[in-house]
Amino acid sequence: MLVVKNLTKKFKDTIAVNNLSFTIKPGKIFGLLGPNGAGKTTTLRTVLNIIKPTSGTISFDGKSISDEYYNMIGYLPEERGLYQRSKVIDILAYFASLKNLSKSDALFKADEWLKKLNVSRYRNKKIIELSKGNQQKIQLIAAIVHNPRLLILDEPFTGFDPINQQEVKELILTFTSEGKTIILSTHQMELAEKMCENILLMNKGSEVKSGKLSEIKRIFGGNNVKVEFSGERKLIDGMPEVLKFDSYNNYSEIHLKDEVSPSKFLKQIIQKVDVKHFSVIEPTLNKIFIDLINENN
Amino acid sequence: MKKIWTIAKWEYLEKVKTKTFIVSIIITPIIIIGFSILPTLLSDEEMPRVKTIGVIDTSGTYFNLLREELEKYKIEDKQPQYILINLNEKNKPFDQIRDGANQAVLRGKLEGYILMLAKSKDSLIVEYRSESIGNFKDIGRFEHAINSARIQKKLIQEGIEPELTSFIQNKIELKHIKLDDEDIEAKQDFLITFFSSFVFILLLMMMVVYSGQMLVRSMLEERSNRLIEVLVSSSTPEELLAGKVIGLSSLGFTQIFIWFLIGLALAGSSLIPLGAFENILPMLVYFILGFLFYTTIFVGIGSVVTNEQEAQQITTYISLVLLLPVVIAMPAIQNPDFVVIKIFSYFPLTIPSVMLLRLNISNVSDYEIILTILIMLLSIIVMIKISAKIFRIGILSYGIKPTLKDIIAWIKE
Repeated sequence: MLVVKNLTKKFKDTIAVNNLSFTIKPGKIFGLLGPNGAGKTTTLRTVLNIIKPTSGTISFDGKSISDEYYNMIGYLPEERGLYQRSKVIDILAYFASLKNLSKSDALFKADEWLKKLNVSRYRNKKIIELSKGNQQKIQLIAAIVHNPRLLILDEPFTGFDPINQQEVKELILTFTSEGKTIILSTHQMELAEKMCENILLMNKGSEVKSGKLSEIKRIFGGNNVKVEFSGERKLIDGMPEVLKFDSYNNYSEIHLKDEVSPSKFLKQIIQKVDVKHFSVIEPTLNKIFIDLINENN
Repeated sequence: MKKIWTIAKWEYLEKVKTKTFIVSIIITPIIIIGFSILPTLLSDEEMPRVKTIGVIDTSGTYFNLLREELEKYKIEDKQPQYILINLNEKNKPFDQIRDGANQAVLRGKLEGYILMLAKSKDSLIVEYRSESIGNFKDIGRFEHAINSARIQKKLIQEGIEPELTSFIQNKIELKHIKLDDEDIEAKQDFLITFFSSFVFILLLMMMVVYSGQMLVRSMLEERSNRLIEVLVSSSTPEELLAGKVIGLSSLGFTQIFIWFLIGLALAGSSLIPLGAFENILPMLVYFILGFLFYTTIFVGIGSVVTNEQEAQQITTYISLVLLLPVVIAMPAIQNPDFVVIKIFSYFPLTIPSVMLLRLNISNVSDYEIILTILIMLLSIIVMIKISAKIFRIGILSYGIKPTLKDIIAWIKE
């Protein structure tokens, strides 16, 4: 379990991270979200022990950061790049041995992962000869080859095509069943929405919102329904229960007043138009993100 | 410790395999050997052949003496190298003689001619006229012969015995022999000793420049592709720094070692005057310490420079400091106890090279050697700490060039 308490990091006069606290349980994916410059990278770097916090504590499984900690972390930085002129297997073996794996273990694990991600044929190639997507895969393997217990992934999906994205997503999900603690920092809200159980949304160094994603969605849900119908639009648009009516080609999104329950609303409109589809829409994480950050700014 | 070793091994093996390294190992000695052999090749290119040299001597007294002097030089088959022809003709105006000689040279009948104009009793103006200028060997010999003839002529005029004239003309060359502590004559020649220090200093500078640039370049790569973040989330910055310094130092020493072997194989021990290194042990110590010190400085530089050009500039400037002994060599020889030299031999940046020089030209007391080595060790430790601090922060700031003020703040942090 990773516990970050009252983390603050100042650079000269600017406060990059201001009194941030969060806890991540093993087997869970924690989404660290926020606009550019929100302080995510600084937060990740302090968790990685690359930079020291100005104040606050970070502990993993009850122990504060020590040299042992280095061997438990796996890190995939946002901007990618490996030693362009070195061989795939050499790089993987190097990173694994930096995490204290023996040479034979390092080679064995590296080969295992190359196979798992379908890139074994590049084993003895130089990085520069690989496509961008394959380079990304190698970098991902470099982050996980030593079987880390705490995995920090900064934008893990960029640069992958949809098929590889799916592959990587599934891989990360298998890590949760192995009990790894995972921090995922991304701008791809749909993916964060599908993968993270808890999120922390930050802006200008401070927390804007944090907690269980489902909970946040419920609170921010508003009262929206999606309706497909044939009949006159103004029959619904003019109803007192309706706050906002957005019409699209095949369906309409209706924002109801808070006190109106969707099922009662359905009963009412059935009598007015021919309803083909009716569902309650949860707000997307994307929408929550945009609304919260705009509000915060 | 294990991680330092892992990093050092990686830095070493990855660089040793690169084309640049392999090329530099082969190309550099070729260039050096080329430079040292080429002049000899060029000057020896000219096959020794008989040269016809004319002489116009307005006093009419030098020709025989000159011929005697110059006929000493022989080529194969004991043929004389120079055949002298007296161009003086009675009853012919000087101008005509000279014009005739000029024509003879231009037509290739004469290699050149010596024109001696007697002005007053003991004064002569001498010219050597030929189509090509710059044959230093010939001109040197002519000059020697003319001078010798002049003196001889004068001595004979004054009635001094011929045996005495050769005695007077013989020069004594002063040999300079360095004494060591026990007042025993050191065996080697002073010049060899002196230049062997230069060889060491140059080697040190080449190594520092080469490894320094490699180090800075590799750090730039790691910083620009953020690999550095993965590295410092796997080991402490100090381990990373130490690993890099050790790995790249080994690389530098590998290179020197290979060059040394090439040198030995090519020229035998004559190329490297091994006998000159009576102080080999302290010299090696200064060499290694100097190299380590400079390398740690380069780590600090590698953490703040933002592009390769900048890196190259700074590397060059810093390594130039190592060449200081070349500038102060002469005053150092004239007076090894000169205050400025003493000061430089206690200043960390110049200790290695100045001491390499001083060790060979004068006696340096054990106390001074120990003191300077201690200063070096201390400076290395301090430099590692400073560089590690700059490194720790600098490597994570991308694209922004820190000001000196920033860097000082990092060091204080």
